[in-house]
Amino acid sequence: MHIPDGFIAPQVYAPAYGVAGVLWAAGLRRLRRTLEPAAVPKLAVATAAAYALMLVTIPLPGGTTAHITGVGMMAALFGAWQAFLSLSLVFLIQALMLGDGGVTALPVNALAVGLCGALAARGALLLIPWRTAALFTAGWIGTVVPAVLIALVLGWQPRLALAADGQPLFFPFGWSVTLPAIVLPHMLVGVADGLVTVMAWRALGRRSEP
Amino acid sequence: MRDRALLLLYLAAVVAASVVHDPRWLGLALFVVTASAGRRAGTLARRVLVAALPFVAAVALGWLLVEGGNWRSALPALERLGLRVLLMTALAFRVLPAISLPRALSASPTLRFVLVLATSQVLAFRRLFTDFRLALTARSPRRVGPRVALRHGASTAAWFLRRAEHDATTMTEALDARGFFLDRD
Repeated sequence: MHIPDGFIAPQVYAPAYGVAGVLWAAGLRRLRRTLEPAAVPKLAVATAAAYALMLVTIPLPGGTTAHITGVGMMAALFGAWQAFLSLSLVFLIQALMLGDGGVTALPVNALAVGLCGALAARGALLLIPWRTAALFTAGWIGTVVPAVLIALVLGWQPRLALAADGQPLFFPFGWSVTLPAIVLPHMLVGVADGLVTVMAWRALGRRSEP
Repeated sequence: MRDRALLLLYLAAVVAASVVHDPRWLGLALFVVTASAGRRAGTLARRVLVAALPFVAAVALGWLLVEGGNWRSALPALERLGLRVLLMTALAFRVLPAISLPRALSASPTLRFVLVLATSQVLAFRRLFTDFRLALTARSPRRVGPRVALRHGASTAAWFLRRAEHDATTMTEALDARGFFLDRD
């Protein structure tokens, strides 16, 4: 789902870096101050786990496959704050070390997928009293909320940055294209993400509330 | 110092590529970046095309449809967007392999430490994931169905989450045994 380089205008990625930068700095400061020795290794392996979850493919109708986001699982197991930092690190490693994704899109991806997706998933886990339903909804909403936000950001580009001849300077399609094109498939991917979240939680042998 | 300078140079180049809108400048920059690879320019160009072309082609076809199949009106936006995406991809493939990210981020020891640990785990997990995928294919006499794929995905996810928890404990114990946390007491 996450956006590659070249599609986002500086009017969007610069303020997004400002917001994400404040949150990353706060997270690192919190990590340095914590007295729990496992905090740093835990963040590192949670990052690797978030990356591995994104590799898991699930079948979709029509013979195609899609990658799950694992945001619901990350939020259930590690909490929203840790999920945000871990997913941000995944995007950083992908952009700067594995040649996947991009640095201009990094803060938008981190805020949409890492922060808002994890908060939505965490909210579902807190609000829904039935464990299976809560886990399924966390997996589903952790996929759909970032998809909606990314569709909104991409669809905003032609309104933000236009050339003198009225042609778009960055991503050319408006909300009428981005919302159905991105959100509808991810509503389906979210179902698979929700199922994988429930099944993985059971396979982990977790009986307590997430 | 060299790594930090290169990283800053790369980031400045990416920002510059996103504020320049003249296709001639974008094309010239793409040519310069590709030519700077010397004898490996062909390999670089091929890698860039393989990585970026699917995105560019999908957007180009979509935009062409929106413009009612009129190439003339669709071309300026497509030229700009395509060259920008190709330039940014070429910059990433040309500059990033030459940078040691842990050295470039040495100003923040915590970030550097997390990044080194996370990257090592990511590479190990990626390899393990490939092994799992190949094992499933090898054990399946027919094409894997949706139910098996879903179960496989769930058990793989659970395995990685369990392994992550275990590795965090092991790493903490190993670091503690080497006195890593002494300065925190």
